[in-house]
Amino acid sequence: MLTSPISKWDDAAAYFTFADNPTMIMGILALSAVVVAASIIFGSFHEKECYMKVTKNGH
Amino acid sequence: MVGSSFETACGVFDGERWDMEQQLADLAAKLAALEKSTSMAGTINSEVFYWWCIALMIVIHAGFLAYEMGASRAKNVLASGIKNILAFAFIVPTFFYFGWWIYLAFPDGLTVSDAAADGLPWAAKMGPNLADNATGIFWGAFALFAATTASIMSGAVIERIQMTGFIILAIFLGSVVWILGASWGWHPTGWLTAQFGFHDVGAAGCVHLIAGTFALGVLLNLGPRIGKFNPDGTANDIGGHNMPMTVIGLMLIIVGFFGFLGGCIIYVNGGQWTNIYGQPATLSAFSFNTLMGFCGGLIGAWVKTRDPFWMMSGGLVGIISAASGLDVWYPPLAFLVGFFGAFTAPIVAKLIEKAGIDDAVAAVAVHGYGGLWGVVACGLFAAGYPNMNDMPPVSLTGQLVGAGVFAALGFLSGYVLSLALRIFGLLRVPANSEILGLDKTKVPLSAYPEGLKALPAE
Repeated sequence: MLTSPISKWDDAAAYFTFADNPTMIMGILALSAVVVAASIIFGSFHEKECYMKVTKNGH
Repeated sequence: MVGSSFETACGVFDGERWDMEQQLADLAAKLAALEKSTSMAGTINSEVFYWWCIALMIVIHAGFLAYEMGASRAKNVLASGIKNILAFAFIVPTFFYFGWWIYLAFPDGLTVSDAAADGLPWAAKMGPNLADNATGIFWGAFALFAATTASIMSGAVIERIQMTGFIILAIFLGSVVWILGASWGWHPTGWLTAQFGFHDVGAAGCVHLIAGTFALGVLLNLGPRIGKFNPDGTANDIGGHNMPMTVIGLMLIIVGFFGFLGGCIIYVNGGQWTNIYGQPATLSAFSFNTLMGFCGGLIGAWVKTRDPFWMMSGGLVGIISAASGLDVWYPPLAFLVGFFGAFTAPIVAKLIEKAGIDDAVAAVAVHGYGGLWGVVACGLFAAGYPNMNDMPPVSLTGQLVGAGVFAALGFLSGYVLSLALRIFGLLRVPANSEILGLDKTKVPLSAYPEGLKALPAE
């Protein structure tokens, strides 16, 4: 995948991957934020399940 | 003959002048190259300095990790560790999404500054950029300050908070609340310094006071651990499973504080250091007063309690107490300010316990009270120091205003958010899981499979 916004180093400034492609930048940013939020939600489900198991097992 | 000699002489002169002009041009080019090279060396030195400050601030996190795990009972030790690590893990990305933007956006209060555009997560400065050696390294240092605030809260709530609720609280404290306070009072043009001359060089207010009062707000909704208080209201001592680990953890926090405080001074390329407000400062001043405050704190807490846990916590209180005026104290005064803070912090912790609040590691007393004392002490003993650009000088009134704003910001946000989490059932673990132990409930490992056994459930 060609992701470089530059073809030479002379006068280069922002050179991170997709720096010249706002659509991709927003897409990757949104995806990473969704991963963060989804991880918290996933963790919450796991946690609730663990508490229910303890209750079910009579502890 | 004369004419010929004159013409020859003129020719020689022209030649010499041409040579001299050429030499001057070469010299100017060399000078420009040298200036460029020196400037770049300064820029890279600055990056290197903050890079290692960040590394040392990660040691703070390692310290809090050891501290919390040691202060937990064996049945909760791994769950406490996971909680602490996840605070770090979730704060860094969220600080990228909105934390840095908040810092740049709100120095005037609640209106968005033009400079905020540089902190948007899609801005050209928010990633590798050969024209900007500063943003990433400052963002990193501030992200680590953010992680420190969450660690402060993390220790107070061990052994009974839900992970989900804790992560939400940590993100809110680390990537929203403290950084909003920093924008107001730990920024060259923050309204607290611009209007009141607020002075808090070492972040006693925006980091420690805010995190400590935030933790207090959370503790009120979270409630005490089962078994902490008797029906008559008297408190039981719930000891951690590994006091040596706790003490070592505190010492690691102290080591990390040298990175934290290093991150509080601004490297000026080709000029004197400044503090966060742009006032001239030296790292030497920080060295004098951090060490003197630290030792004042150690001794103050030792005199008061004879307890190694409190000695090390007292050392921390000593540094926090001296932090606001770290750039200006006469070192023995920093010692005394640290001594007083640490001598009185155990009394504050006792009062909090008597009020029925279970703060497992005395975070409210160490950071909340220590931060409050640090900010106020700067107003009591360092009034009159001039500010920049016609902004007001340091004063007791300015320090009290700043302390009040930070305490209210921390407490109210912690209380309201934890109340909402409690209403939605995301704050406290069920009683049976708390009694069984959080490791057995949700961690797929045993902390000490061959050795230390957890005490029977109570």
